[in-house]
Amino acid sequence: MRLLTHNLLSSHVRGVGPRGFPLRLQATEVRIHPVEFNPDFIARMIPKVEWAALLEAADTLHLVEVPKEPIQGYEHNEEFLRKMHHVLLEVEVLEGTLQCPESGRLFPISRGIPNMLLSDEETET
Amino acid sequence: MPRVLAATSLLFKGIRASPLRSWWVAPGRRYSRELGGRRSSAGPGVRLSGLHLCSPKRSGCALRPALDELPQIRCTHNGYYTPSKDNVIFAGTERRHLGNQRLLAETDFSESLAGERACGSAVHRPSRLMGNVVQFFSNMAAPGIVMDSNHQSNYKLSKTEKKLLRKQIKARHTLLRHEGIETVSYATQSLIVANGGLGNQVSRNQLLPVLEKCGLVDALLMPPNKPYSCVRYTTVEESKKAYDTLNGREIVDDLGQKIILYLNFVEKAQWKELGLQALPPGLKVIEEIISSEDEKMLLESVNWTEDTDNQNFQKSLKHRRVKHFGYEFHYDNNNVDKDKPLPGGLPDICESILEKWLKAGFIKHKPDQLTINQYEPGHGIPAHIDTHSAFEDEIVSLSLGSEIVMDFKHPDGMTVPVMLPRRSLLVMTGESRYLWTHGITPRKFDTVQASKGHKSGIITSDVEDLTLNKRGIRTSFTFRKVRQTPCNCSYPLVCDSQMKEAPASFPESDKEALQLEQDYVHRVYEEIARHFSSTRHTPWPHIVEFLKALPSGSLVADIGCGNGKYLGINKELYMIGCDHSQNLVDICRERQYQAFVCDALAVPIRSGSCDACISIAVIHHFATAERRVAALQELVRLLRPGGKALIYVWAMEQEYNKKKSKYLRENRTSQGLKEEINNDTSVQELLVKQLPNVGNQDSAHSVSSINDFQDGGCNSRNVANSKLPIHTNRTSFHSQDLLVPWHLKENPGKDKRVEPFGPLGSRDPGPVFHRYYHVFCEGELEAACQTLSNISILQSYYDQGNWCVILQKV
Repeated sequence: MRLLTHNLLSSHVRGVGPRGFPLRLQATEVRIHPVEFNPDFIARMIPKVEWAALLEAADTLHLVEVPKEPIQGYEHNEEFLRKMHHVLLEVEVLEGTLQCPESGRLFPISRGIPNMLLSDEETET
Repeated sequence: MPRVLAATSLLFKGIRASPLRSWWVAPGRRYSRELGGRRSSAGPGVRLSGLHLCSPKRSGCALRPALDELPQIRCTHNGYYTPSKDNVIFAGTERRHLGNQRLLAETDFSESLAGERACGSAVHRPSRLMGNVVQFFSNMAAPGIVMDSNHQSNYKLSKTEKKLLRKQIKARHTLLRHEGIETVSYATQSLIVANGGLGNQVSRNQLLPVLEKCGLVDALLMPPNKPYSCVRYTTVEESKKAYDTLNGREIVDDLGQKIILYLNFVEKAQWKELGLQALPPGLKVIEEIISSEDEKMLLESVNWTEDTDNQNFQKSLKHRRVKHFGYEFHYDNNNVDKDKPLPGGLPDICESILEKWLKAGFIKHKPDQLTINQYEPGHGIPAHIDTHSAFEDEIVSLSLGSEIVMDFKHPDGMTVPVMLPRRSLLVMTGESRYLWTHGITPRKFDTVQASKGHKSGIITSDVEDLTLNKRGIRTSFTFRKVRQTPCNCSYPLVCDSQMKEAPASFPESDKEALQLEQDYVHRVYEEIARHFSSTRHTPWPHIVEFLKALPSGSLVADIGCGNGKYLGINKELYMIGCDHSQNLVDICRERQYQAFVCDALAVPIRSGSCDACISIAVIHHFATAERRVAALQELVRLLRPGGKALIYVWAMEQEYNKKKSKYLRENRTSQGLKEEINNDTSVQELLVKQLPNVGNQDSAHSVSSINDFQDGGCNSRNVANSKLPIHTNRTSFHSQDLLVPWHLKENPGKDKRVEPFGPLGSRDPGPVFHRYYHVFCEGELEAACQTLSNISILQSYYDQGNWCVILQKV
């Protein structure tokens, strides 16, 4: 699970709504996986990222410092884009957990796959 | 400038070649025939059996490295390739010149040879030039020579031997060309005896003794009116011996004329193709499996005069006598009580015999139940299938005291009478065990074949060759293994386990719907994930189009992504996939895609974050209209304003604008891409119309066209709590809510060619799973989307048996 993916995930535990974001990340195994750098692609991604969540996740993983917010004129700032490329796309959490901030419910990440299925009881109306 | 073809690839195959699709590209003009050390050259187009490939005299020939790797080929200095002495290499050419040589290698030419063609005559027809692929074959060594492709002896064939070889090859070609029988160059248990057939006045009496001199004959099949027979020895060694000693052997036919026999090995599969009324698949009869002494001993061991109190004992003059060991068989429900095994197990003498059979490979499993039946003349047993849930696949029956004719009947109506000689073992597996009924007609005489004596096999339908055989007292020892789990064979319509399965019914509540989806969607996909994935490899063009049209840098979610087929289509997108099936998501992961496991009704993605979503063949798995709309709602929730969603669902109408969808069009023998929509069903399609008492099965053979539904909406036949019908694959839908079978193949894609058949047997297909679908009528998907307030429908269309909608969030 890449950090960009994590940035999109939100808890769907009943009743939690938007308070289910962002999921708290705990990682026991992380892998760096090089990905071809596409500055255009990253530039387009930046506005879609929930920055606070990204900061929190990057922090948990002790990643290189991510700026508090996108730099002015980031579209042309290669250094910034490269840094974000690395953070968003090259860091993969292989083993760990995601925790709903509201309910505390834990979702496991195994072999890079988060399992977000709720049990039958949890989904019952 | 010749076109550059794909890179050279060399495939070594040790299997028999499939019909040649390749053609021989021979840039050179000279051919060299080397057989037994003699060289002669001939021009192109000569019909020789020893042709080999010549390559052009040019460097960088792509073929050379490939050829160098073959041990049989050595390269001569002038660039011509000559085969080694005892293995003549044939380049791919007309089949009849090659008979059935063993394919050694296959290679694609690179551009150095592309476009080159042999000129000339009979051998080459340009229209058959395809892809410049050349196949190399090794011919069979002459009889008496060890058939080993690495054999490098300098053995020279004598004149007579060469002649024999030629004739043998000719026989091979004839068999192939006229009878479609493919012979093989390696030793097998079965041989075709050319010139030794009923069709050329060679009788069993004359042939069998000759064959029996070489070893134990398992079976000799003499198809009527054919100039050949097929003999199967119990071991390959005996078969080889026959091959070596009998080839070219002279015998005398019925008319006193001298006949020369030519033998060739065949694969077991050939038995079926001999055009005989074949034995039911999975059936075999092993003759003389026990000695007369053992027979006597077994018969004497049966104590029929036990106390009448004893439950094992059943006496009646009108009826056959029975005795049970291991587990008692109950005739009221035709089943065993698995929780109450009989003390003592199987008799000791039986145990030792069973061990022997296991070791010899006559049986594969150790039985734990024995039923002894004694049939006096006039006794029989009604036609039946041994209860699926009671016993495992292999059921064997030993016939003692007298031979008998047992009738096997297929649900289609075909009846096959099979002679079971004394001291023979009847082995029923697969189809013959699960699908065909077997029974013994209560009578005192059987009609048998006059000429065959008492050998086993099918009783001929040739009236002139029949005679009556008076029955004697026959005792059968039927050994079976009790099943501990429900049966999940591929013949569900005759399977008590599967028919008893709480029939899935149309759900009445959300809870029932959830359970239905759990049992008939989620559980099934987890089981079939691998196989399912192997049939989902070709992305559909319209979906690809949709994805490719999205702007670069779009965030796209594939809800119900399956094996991730669409996750890598457009590298400019950031696509994440999710699916309910862990096993399918694992496959996405293997392909390096971002995917997670979740429920499509509660997608853990933050609202308004996606530029686009796709839902391909997902929503039709939801069992109520409310749930289907809820799934659509989720898709829309994920979209940002202006975002688009593409939805595909299976259509009720499989024929649209008079054109049948791929699902209906593809026939069952096609593979690969054709398995796309649904995999094939085998016997089930036939069975549906034949079997009585099978409840409301659909026997759909007429295609419902779009016009049938013009009166506004589909006629959804489902009333609450009615049973969900089981669909027949590759036919049109007659109900909107149904179960669609999936025939699981255990090793998908591993070996697409026909698996070796057991002697007269067929490969038994794997278990069957049922998936729940709600197929959509025209307009139904649109209508469902319209119920959502914040969308507008951009496009609505029909694509290969699916209803499709592209919507946009406003």
